[in-house]
Amino acid sequence: MAGFCSGRPEQERILTVKPGSTSAERALDAVRAKIAALETGGRGESESLPFGDPRIDRCFPGGRGLPLRRWHEVGGEGMETETAAAPAAFAALMALPLLRKRPAVWITRRDDLHAPGLAGLGFPAGALIEVWARDEAQALAAAEDALAASGVGVVFVEAQACDLTAGRRLQLACEKGQATGFLIARRPFGGGAAGAAQGSAAASRWSIAPAPSAPMAGRPGLGAPRWRATLERCRGGRPGAWLFESPAAYDDTEIQDGTHPLRLVADLGDRQLAPTQPAARPASPAVPFPAGGQGAPRRRRA
Amino acid sequence: METSRGTRRLAAVDRAARALGLFPGQKAADALAYVPDLVTAEAEPEADAQALGALVDWCVRFSPAVAPDPPDGLFLDVTGLAHLWGGEAALTADFRRRLARNGLPVVCGVADTPGAAWALARHGDGAGLCPPGRQGQVLDPLPPSALRISEAACAQLERLGLRKVSEVRRLPRSQLAQRFGLELITRLDQALGEAPEALAFRRPPNPWFDRLILAEPISTPEDLARVCGDIVERLCARLSAEGQGARRFELAYHRVDGRPQTVEVGLAVGAREAARITRLFLPRLDQVDPGFGVEQVTLAAFEVEALSARQAALAPEPVGQSAVEIAPLVDRLANRLGAERVWTSQAVESHVPERAVARRAPFSPEPPARWDPARPRPIRLFRRPEPIEATAPVPDDPPVQFRWRGQLHRVRLAEGPERIAEEWWKAPIEAASTTHVRDYYRVEDQAGARFWIFRAGLYEAGAPARWWLHGLFG
Repeated sequence: MAGFCSGRPEQERILTVKPGSTSAERALDAVRAKIAALETGGRGESESLPFGDPRIDRCFPGGRGLPLRRWHEVGGEGMETETAAAPAAFAALMALPLLRKRPAVWITRRDDLHAPGLAGLGFPAGALIEVWARDEAQALAAAEDALAASGVGVVFVEAQACDLTAGRRLQLACEKGQATGFLIARRPFGGGAAGAAQGSAAASRWSIAPAPSAPMAGRPGLGAPRWRATLERCRGGRPGAWLFESPAAYDDTEIQDGTHPLRLVADLGDRQLAPTQPAARPASPAVPFPAGGQGAPRRRRA
Repeated sequence: METSRGTRRLAAVDRAARALGLFPGQKAADALAYVPDLVTAEAEPEADAQALGALVDWCVRFSPAVAPDPPDGLFLDVTGLAHLWGGEAALTADFRRRLARNGLPVVCGVADTPGAAWALARHGDGAGLCPPGRQGQVLDPLPPSALRISEAACAQLERLGLRKVSEVRRLPRSQLAQRFGLELITRLDQALGEAPEALAFRRPPNPWFDRLILAEPISTPEDLARVCGDIVERLCARLSAEGQGARRFELAYHRVDGRPQTVEVGLAVGAREAARITRLFLPRLDQVDPGFGVEQVTLAAFEVEALSARQAALAPEPVGQSAVEIAPLVDRLANRLGAERVWTSQAVESHVPERAVARRAPFSPEPPARWDPARPRPIRLFRRPEPIEATAPVPDDPPVQFRWRGQLHRVRLAEGPERIAEEWWKAPIEAASTTHVRDYYRVEDQAGARFWIFRAGLYEAGAPARWWLHGLFG
């Protein structure tokens, strides 16, 4: 079976990252690796982008962070469904470490994306290829084309909704190329609310809301931007909710290579966070998977 | 009919009028005396020039190098192409036949030099063919006016009794030059091929040009697509052999009725991959109307530049060098959506937010200007700022709350003002005014949403301040 064979090296890697695990855990991990290999449809390769914080990374398949060469849906609530400013900023920052190697394509339906704003977040906006599509179908077709093209690192596409067929097409395009997609959910101004997404081919679905910033002591004005990010769905992983901060935004100091531009805010004083968030539990960074099944229900493709 | 120096004269006459003894340059009154029921029309030199231009364009089907010779002639450089038609005689016969079918009688001359060909066409016996290197013999029996000299010089030669070119040629050159100026000598030498002559070709001959002549006219979309692929392959093979790539390709389908149908594609960086260029053409072929059939296809490449042979990268390349890899994608998108819908933003040295961004074609050189990361700018900038109802009790302070799109936002934190004034140095100084000042604040509401708002104009007691929302930080 092809899936099993190609899944084998991963299994090795998982075993090596946690030397202190028991034999029961090891057996469990072997089963998980097998399931992961099945879930990816036999394509054993699973590059990922770690956030650099185990509290987040372990919610993703294999505990290794955001899966690459997949597409992710990033949306917002309330006003953000129309403006999609916070989801766009968050998606840009999430993808930032990928842009050092390959350029990005940003497909919009309205031309209100402001490159200096992206540049302020540390995003290499001078190399971004912006595409302004006329309608939803054109935007998704352009995204598919860009995802499948060689040489593209990240594709952002602002679209209203993506049904299962379009989602599968995007996923196939991701597998053809090397790019990771971010679908920024956004409905047209004055347009009706997007229908509830009934099943989606996205590797993960995020809901992003801006969060009040904490100004630095002794300095007037706003603090570093913060977002409340809810991982609503994650294929082969678990949902979660966190409070992120981008300490390097609007700062002319370069981000050091290797650190993720998004940082988990240590002080989780916010009561509105979802109770299922894993960070609230005692964290055991060495173990990518919690041993027991007391967390949120794992979602798995049937 | 035209008016020259106050006199109405005939500018041109048709065959029937010529048979009646009328000639161009004749006074209209005289002509009407000869032929009382003469039908005349006003001369339209501009329309004539336009028609000549169109004819020159059409002649590209015979030769890529066509030079107009106003007011009523044109030169075709047929060097090395006559064999395609089966000889010069067949070429001129075909030329004449095609034009005659369109109601354009022509006389042609073919010779080694433009001068001799001109003389043959206008004063020859009608056969119009000069064997190679025999210009002298062909020119000798012709009148001196066949030498393309001014009317004054021509008249003077006639007065001297010189009625043939051979008689002129027999005279010593120094005397000819003294008497008639250099023009006669130059024209004579040019006609004989002893002096060079530069023709101003309407379109500079493009070496990156190829053509396919079809045995049968084609019209089905499949055939159009196939010949497109064939001709692209031919030109690309040549480009590849010479290490060149082109950034623009123009494909022309020449219809049976002589109207070319052109399709153009542009590329972000030079290319010569036939399959890729064909793919760019294919979706546009539905614009081609083959009419009664297409009998010839031409393809020209423009903006040809050296392009070294490349190999697919083994390791991921840093940003910037990957342009070659993404160029096909950019080309596809630009050709599908329109070139103005695919761009890369570049910084412009301007404080006015709307002007701080310019669009440039992807992969064009990046200017040295940079956006200042220390000046926070929103990620969404509205093209038109939206009015908000703001409550700002303290002058020159950010509002404590504002209403935008029907929703009330209480300001929790604010930063500013950043005063951005108009760029008065770009307009007359009288036009500058303090009302074109904006005080921008970056504010955060209770929920954490960050906005970029500004107050228009300076604060004035009594006058209500006008507030606008210009963008959103995510």
